[in-house]
Amino acid sequence: MNTRRLNATTLVLYGFVGLMSLIVLLPVIYMIMAAFKTRTSMFVSPLALPESLSFETFERAWGVGVGGFMVNSLLVTFLSVVVIVIVSGMAAYALSQMRGWVGQAIYLMIVAGFAIPVQAVLVPVFQIMSGAGLLNSRLALVLPYAAYGIPFTVILFYAFFLDFPKELEEAARLDGCSRFQAFVRVILPLSGPAIASAAIFQSVFIWNEFILALLVLTRRGLKTLPVGILDLQGEFTSDWPAVLAGLTLATLPLLILFVLAQKYFVRSLAGLGK
Amino acid sequence: MNIWMKTLTALAVALPLGMPAAAQDKVQVKFWTLKNPGMDEFIAGRVEAFEEANPGIEIIYEDFPNEAYKTAIQVALNGSEPPDAFYNWVGEDSSRFVREGLAMDISDYGTGPDGFQSLLSDGWLSSMRQDGGLYGVPLEAVSKFFYYNVPFFEEHDLKVPETFDDVVQMCRDIRAIDSNLVPLPLGNSERWKLIHWITMLNERIVGQEATSVDYSLSAPDDELFTNPGYVEAWEKVVELRDADCFEDAPNATAPELSYVMFSTQAAPMIYCGSWCAGIFDGDGFTDYAMFRMPPVEGGKGADGTNFVIIQGYQVSAKSKHPEETVKWLSFLVTPESGRGYAEAMSRVPSNPSGLEESESLTDSFKWIANDVASVTAPINVLDVLLDNNVSEAYLNAGVEVLNGSKTPQEAMDSVRQTALEVKNRQ
Amino acid sequence: MPQRPRTARSDGRLTYAAMLSPAIVLLSIFVFVPVALVLYGSLFRFGLTSAEWTFVGLSNYVRAMGDGVFWIALRNNIIIVVGSIVLQVGFGTLLAAVLDRGITVGNTVLRTIIFAPMVISSVAVGLIWLIILDPNVGPLVSLVKAMGLTPPRLGFLGDPSISIWVVLGIASWQYTGFMMVLILAGLQAVPKELYQAAALDGATGLRAFWHITLPAIRNILIVAVLITTVGGFKVFDLIFVTTGGGPANATQVLSTWIYFQAFNLGNTGYADAISVILLAIAVLLGWAQLKSSRRA
Repeated sequence: MNTRRLNATTLVLYGFVGLMSLIVLLPVIYMIMAAFKTRTSMFVSPLALPESLSFETFERAWGVGVGGFMVNSLLVTFLSVVVIVIVSGMAAYALSQMRGWVGQAIYLMIVAGFAIPVQAVLVPVFQIMSGAGLLNSRLALVLPYAAYGIPFTVILFYAFFLDFPKELEEAARLDGCSRFQAFVRVILPLSGPAIASAAIFQSVFIWNEFILALLVLTRRGLKTLPVGILDLQGEFTSDWPAVLAGLTLATLPLLILFVLAQKYFVRSLAGLGK
Repeated sequence: MNIWMKTLTALAVALPLGMPAAAQDKVQVKFWTLKNPGMDEFIAGRVEAFEEANPGIEIIYEDFPNEAYKTAIQVALNGSEPPDAFYNWVGEDSSRFVREGLAMDISDYGTGPDGFQSLLSDGWLSSMRQDGGLYGVPLEAVSKFFYYNVPFFEEHDLKVPETFDDVVQMCRDIRAIDSNLVPLPLGNSERWKLIHWITMLNERIVGQEATSVDYSLSAPDDELFTNPGYVEAWEKVVELRDADCFEDAPNATAPELSYVMFSTQAAPMIYCGSWCAGIFDGDGFTDYAMFRMPPVEGGKGADGTNFVIIQGYQVSAKSKHPEETVKWLSFLVTPESGRGYAEAMSRVPSNPSGLEESESLTDSFKWIANDVASVTAPINVLDVLLDNNVSEAYLNAGVEVLNGSKTPQEAMDSVRQTALEVKNRQ
Repeated sequence: MPQRPRTARSDGRLTYAAMLSPAIVLLSIFVFVPVALVLYGSLFRFGLTSAEWTFVGLSNYVRAMGDGVFWIALRNNIIIVVGSIVLQVGFGTLLAAVLDRGITVGNTVLRTIIFAPMVISSVAVGLIWLIILDPNVGPLVSLVKAMGLTPPRLGFLGDPSISIWVVLGIASWQYTGFMMVLILAGLQAVPKELYQAAALDGATGLRAFWHITLPAIRNILIVAVLITTVGGFKVFDLIFVTTGGGPANATQVLSTWIYFQAFNLGNTGYADAISVILLAIAVLLGWAQLKSSRRA
């Protein structure tokens, strides 16, 4: 093999991937850098480096309540994902065991739910929440998030359970387990990869969800991160460095968490395609 | 009519979803307002004082950014737990809620010595009257002026424009002094900035009498929005654009940025709301003075009119505690609250009687307060007066005229077409 | 297998019904009942706050056919779907292939960087880009000018002829890494022996990619296209934050137009009709995807 040619190819490949990384990195770097600038310098010389490293903008942005938004997002995401995994797991398992047209029909119905975007049914969803007196409660986000996370997760689990060795379940049943016990004691503990996949995938989507949260949560103390950071604009009318400082505070912790745990993120998301 | 709808919703609701309501020993008044710089502190301070004086009432307040508010309030009023009192723009927005039975007639409340009906003048109260009822408590007036950089004008011997053509000429003069200066920054990314311009241009050219029949869609079909003055108003916008008055890409520039251009002296003039004075002061730039939109030569507008929007609070028709709610709203328009509002926000309160006692109000604020008081006829902003669909057409027409993708004539054609559609659908 | 007594079978049915019911209840309340309400509402003229509903039959649908913005929104959705498939799945596949077999040092670091935007909320992404693309203070305009080029006169997001493409670019900035990781996982599952066998036949490099890699990850590519297509029809946040559907409706998509008609203009019945059209498209796409993945 010709090493020189190989080197040239490798160089091109590195160049390609490196360029893509740079395109991804630059806006993030700019966000952090410009957060240290003053409003005037941002206006007069947008490309210049900040004059000093003052954390004053970050203190102001933190004062808006970025920490609280983050806690709210964590709570809502965690609760929704727990509900999604439990409810979808049970449903997918039952479906994978059922024979005949009833199971097929229910499976198809759930799959059909996957195609329905929440934007298309926003008004009635809101009216139902409002009618149930659930506005400004976390339940008003957790329940619909769970509902909209179920179809995809059921599809994922269903495929996983179908491949599951039947003997294991049969053995558990012979040991006197009921069907439900068999599911909890035997199937679930062995479904770690599928559960992790579903949990991480749904977390990313729920963490980012905006439109329902915008309508359902109006009280400041309850707002999730996406809705909360939109308020930064209103709060610092023309103070871009403060807005960027707020965005940095809102995104950096998750980015760091991701970098530390990226192996698990990637492995879990990878499970989706299987 | 929509019994099926209700049954379906009820079915969905009947499923075990509800949460136990906590026992309340206090009357809770839910209060929604708009997020504005300084508003948070002002309201928080007032809530504290009010709850101390009225231990049986608890005020729960939520605030929203401008863009999100219109949506949130419509949705909430339609829901089962609307706020007891909510902010609104006086015009089509407030009167539609009255027509649809969502706003409460509060004529019978707030009549005592501490009530808003005694605290506010008849002129202010009349802005909230409709079909013999009283549907809200006005809080403030917002007006609009040209602000100019006084030292810059003196240095370059520029004179305050007396006609609209002078304004256009001044843009050329300022660009000639320094082409990097933006003579009149616009910031139209939210579209309402240009609508404020066109509102006043329509008044200056067409005149309020003629615009009102078009704005209310009560003109006959073949005359609706056909006055050539509307096209002429857009042509004035084109003149401004062609004289390089605005910044680059005004449709992609945030309104806030136009304020910064003025306060950092990158722009020597700006057409800006009365609320802008507080923003400029906050940015540390105070060397400015103001003048009203000058007349357009040959126009039919009346002298002494100016842009004035009244904003205030309405009470939800579903409110279970109208008395406590109005008590709170009345508390917001006491002389003391009015003064506090002016000091915190640099905005003109509906109750000016406490302003004289203030020591911190600036000269520019006093100038604005006096000017608003001297307006002979308030010109309400077009997108607050028009039906939502027509106002939407007007807002988009502005974007397209600025971009050059529609001529003034085409812009008015699209407005007229939408107006006809809406009128005939009604 | 021994014959089970009848009671065990009905016990089974009951258990399965109990296990299925939470999912069915949740889906009914938040997905199926709302769909029924949208279908019903599309036959009426009413506003979000109006008490009177007027039955208008199919005229809301007729109105959509004559509504220029509806067609712009539909076209924009298609631009975003097709553009995302080309950019996100296309570049995602290329990047994954390079990381899988092309280069060996620094893979993890590069993969981590390119995937990172996925964990940033799209509202934050929108706000960051809004500032970057700002025609007056944005660094991109300065950069373009410094390179001696002219930035678009009306601004990146203010020029109706390019703004939807700019939004597509922002979306791809966020999601290409996700596609890359998804596809990379599929690539890593391709048995190495296949490549060795192919190498013996003289297929290396691009030819191996074409003849071995692509067929081996066909299923995963279908999943990637499915996720991207559904995502393209659901896009809302990014447009809401960056352009609000403007300038003059040039970047409306179906979801923002529904939201706008229902919540800003008070044409809720009309919004319901557009919702039904969006639903029909979504269900159709879901069905097509299901068929193609079954065949695989």
